Amino acid sequence: MTLDERTVVTRIERLTLRDLRLWVREGWVRPAQGQHGPVFDDIDVARLRLLCDLKKDMALPTDVMPIVLGLIDHLNRTRRDLRRVTEALDQQPLEVRRAVIAAVRHRAEAGD
Amino acid sequence: MSNDPYKILGVSKSATQADIKKAYRKLAKSLHPDLHPDDPGKQAEFQAVSAAYDILGDTEKRRRFDAGEIDASGQERADQRYYHQYAGQDAGARYDQGQRAGFGPGFGGGREEDFADIFSELFGQRARRGGAAHEVHARGNDLRYHLEVDFLDAARGSRRAVTMPDGKSIEIAVPAGVRDGQTLRLRGKGGPGIGQGPAGDALVTIAVRPHPVFVRDGDDIEIELPITFDEAVLGARVDVPTINGPVSMSIPKGASSGQRLRLKGKGIARGKTTGDQTVRLKIVLPKKIDDEMTALAERWKEAASFDPRTDIRRKT
Repeated sequence: MTLDERTVVTRIERLTLRDLRLWVREGWVRPAQGQHGPVFDDIDVARLRLLCDLKKDMALPTDVMPIVLGLIDHLNRTRRDLRRVTEALDQQPLEVRRAVIAAVRHRAEAGD
Repeated sequence: MSNDPYKILGVSKSATQADIKKAYRKLAKSLHPDLHPDDPGKQAEFQAVSAAYDILGDTEKRRRFDAGEIDASGQERADQRYYHQYAGQDAGARYDQGQRAGFGPGFGGGREEDFADIFSELFGQRARRGGAAHEVHARGNDLRYHLEVDFLDAARGSRRAVTMPDGKSIEIAVPAGVRDGQTLRLRGKGGPGIGQGPAGDALVTIAVRPHPVFVRDGDDIEIELPITFDEAVLGARVDVPTINGPVSMSIPKGASSGQRLRLKGKGIARGKTTGDQTVRLKIVLPKKIDDEMTALAERWKEAASFDPRTDIRRKT
């Protein structure tokens, strides 16, 4: 599903066209480029809702936003990596999984 | 959890709107699900807090709640999907380690083969990264485009120019047989690299507009062809549209509606193979049946004993 600017603004009540364009310019949200302007898909819309929560509901100052977004993006990349490792691990023989779990637990206990 | 929005936000019944807003902000900051993506407890709490604020944050709704006109339930936000639910999936790679000002240098950019640090370490690349740490080389950003193409352009292939926000234009060769939703990767057509890093790619997602006549099934094309009563009875040669222009086709004597005829090699040509076009016949009578046709049908009815529904009766 792809939406243009006006549809996005209608769908997210709290969002103004001005803020939307500003946030795209800042690179906080990165829509694909269509022939008649930017087009937004599901993940962009969810991210815009998050931006509204941070910027409007929680009133985070503009200069703090890149730091918070950077941390959130980093967190999500790590979660994705972790999920891939977990999925790869799930495919391993039982003894390999056991050995890995034991090694992880050992490190956690050792405070590494 | 309590259902009372005042209790949920931890404010008294006499709290001012400013107090309520402040209480909500404080809770939202500590509970927001995108800040705690793997904690369903916090998500539930945040939803309760949001629902409470939906009522108390709005003076009119608060008045109606206080007056007992609306209850605390039924105000809960619809089952909204949070950002982290997308970002935790592969699609989230788009927002990895920001690609523009304010996010630091743009590493990666979400290419599948770009392994995050964790994988580099897993596969023993840690040692190789020693030395020259201050020299940063990174691949440029991937740029994403959305291109709508007409059915025939998608079926036959075409060249299209896409204009970027900065006014630059890139030409895209849309290959014949491209599918709706398919993404083309144009190597090196994305943002410039950092240091000696290579340029990023342009990722073009194609949307194909449907055609009023042609329908696609893999590399085959299907159309419905209206024919007249006499063409069906006597057989005929007719012009049939294909994606590459009209061709002549013969309708066999005694054709029926729904009968399928195949035009070999008139479908989508992709690589070495070419699909076919299927023509589905549909007998169409004129809106107004004239006397001659009526007389013909009545004469035929008298004489013939054809029953096309014997099969249906036998099976039901």
